[in-house]
Amino acid sequence: MDLRPLSSNRRSFADYIDDRPADRVFRVDRAIYNDPDVLEAEYRNIFEANWVFLCHEAHVRNPGDYFATHIGRQPVFVVRRPGGALGCYLNACGHRGATLVTKRIGNAKEFVCPYHGFCFDTAGKCTAVSAPKTGWREQHLDLSTFDLTPIACIDSYRGLVFGSLAADVPSLREHLGAAAALIDVFVAPAPQELELAPGFGIYQTACNWKIMHENGPDAYHAPVVHNNFAQAVMYREKRELRSGVTRTDTGRLTGRIESASYDLGNGHTAFWHRRRDPEAFPIYAQREELSKRFTPGQMEWIIGRGRHMTIFPNLLLNDLASTHLRTYRPLGVDRMETMIWCIAPVGEPKDMRAARLRKFEDFFLPSGMATPDDVAIAESAHKASFAFDSKWTNMGRGIDFKIDGPDAAARELGFSPRASSDSWDHDIAMQGVYRRWRDMMERGEERRRG
Amino acid sequence: MADSTLTAAVAEFLYREARLLDGRKFGEWLDLFGDDAIFWVPAVDMDRTYTREPETSLNFMYIVGRAGLEARVFRVESGGSLASNPLPHTRHLVTNVMVDSDGPAGIAAFANTQVVAFCEPRGQQILNGSYEYLLRREGQGFRIAAKKVLLLEYVVDGYFDFFTV
Repeated sequence: MDLRPLSSNRRSFADYIDDRPADRVFRVDRAIYNDPDVLEAEYRNIFEANWVFLCHEAHVRNPGDYFATHIGRQPVFVVRRPGGALGCYLNACGHRGATLVTKRIGNAKEFVCPYHGFCFDTAGKCTAVSAPKTGWREQHLDLSTFDLTPIACIDSYRGLVFGSLAADVPSLREHLGAAAALIDVFVAPAPQELELAPGFGIYQTACNWKIMHENGPDAYHAPVVHNNFAQAVMYREKRELRSGVTRTDTGRLTGRIESASYDLGNGHTAFWHRRRDPEAFPIYAQREELSKRFTPGQMEWIIGRGRHMTIFPNLLLNDLASTHLRTYRPLGVDRMETMIWCIAPVGEPKDMRAARLRKFEDFFLPSGMATPDDVAIAESAHKASFAFDSKWTNMGRGIDFKIDGPDAAARELGFSPRASSDSWDHDIAMQGVYRRWRDMMERGEERRRG
Repeated sequence: MADSTLTAAVAEFLYREARLLDGRKFGEWLDLFGDDAIFWVPAVDMDRTYTREPETSLNFMYIVGRAGLEARVFRVESGGSLASNPLPHTRHLVTNVMVDSDGPAGIAAFANTQVVAFCEPRGQQILNGSYEYLLRREGQGFRIAAKKVLLLEYVVDGYFDFFTV
């Protein structure tokens, strides 16, 4: 067992988080962004020890559909089995360990290893080996010794598929906790299910994964970092005289608006803001139909508010500029990979779908008018994390205004966050992320030490 | 085979466009585009093929109308975009120019491209791809009706913009 001391001479991971509520202090040691030993510990104690997001059910809708991805360091693939259940296996042939599934996505009745031709069914069972008669005496060939290794847990909630390499985890529903009600707000308004528009974005960023993860719950960077987005879009709209859903609501970037943010527990976060121009969003066209199915309070959440959430450690779901599903993973202590999709209702009218996609392209993607600025700031923050003598990242903003439990808006929707705050200008949600990080790291190391 | 005079004229037009971008003369570059021009950089789907229906698919960029390109220029020149400040220096290497057709809709032309960009602190970025143009004759020259960029490196290192592809 590797019991090397932490490279910055800390006794425990709790030392990285300076969490003193009585003194109104919450700070994070920037060494967590650039210490390779911290990343190793995150792989084993966070990514490979609990639920992580894998893919959307739309990626694996039909029997035989598969989706190759990673859990922490480990390559896996998700497959829809003939009976409808989902399977997920380590993406390594049970024979000599070659990568079994080499495409990102596809459909297969069986999986044939490209190295020696061994075959596997969608239950992960080895069904055939090459030249069995010359390899073994018949009575000694036991195909099950080559079976694929399944992950311990796979489950989905409202189309979002999660998996865990570790077996000793709570149910997915328990893991999501208060976040489930907010996922419902994304999903419930769709008349049928949700799908992913064709095309996705994939990009690599030269920063620690947590710096980009923080960029999610941090809403108050937007009026600073993305003011140029708002100015560019307003310039375009003046030139083109846009109307209806082709307009962009820049209210959240250009002025103070009503908002709130939540520590949902288990490291999950959410925030919302009042939309200044709700008619600029495709969902507005459905308001009459929706008002028959939802209470006025729920309608406020669905139509009136831009919404954002992160599910620790690797999922971001938001409906701010457009409807957006994002997952990410560390590639190294100073590099990460992000995949993003535009998530949209099945059967949406073409003009609404087009408006949704153009809004998405305007803002997100490494070719958009906002994401590149997020990437640039994250990379510059990573570089500055080496300023060791200025070691604390301050996340104490808003402690004075923290509300324990739900605020009025949360009560209206019926979810119970650990803490609320009446502005997205606060770090209350971020504190929940790092308390969860600290607890998972500590618990994992305790278990290793026995 | 296309008329070699036309191919030479198209090639020179594409070289001039590249030179305007490398010289950061974005205003003059915009003047090469018609008011209803389309600037399209398809994304790829999960099966690693380029998206084909731009209206109903996700694209890296699908800008319909010159005002959308103007907004992009406005943003990178505003100084407010950290990703564009400092603005990378670029060199566009445009090769393999061919005229595919010349008809009432315009001239369809193809070229390969390599764009080398450099800026601090990100360093060098090289993006490869091909261009598909629809050009309209105007006076002695051409106007761009559509420019499509098929990008080789769809797993993007960092980010890119209209002037680095």
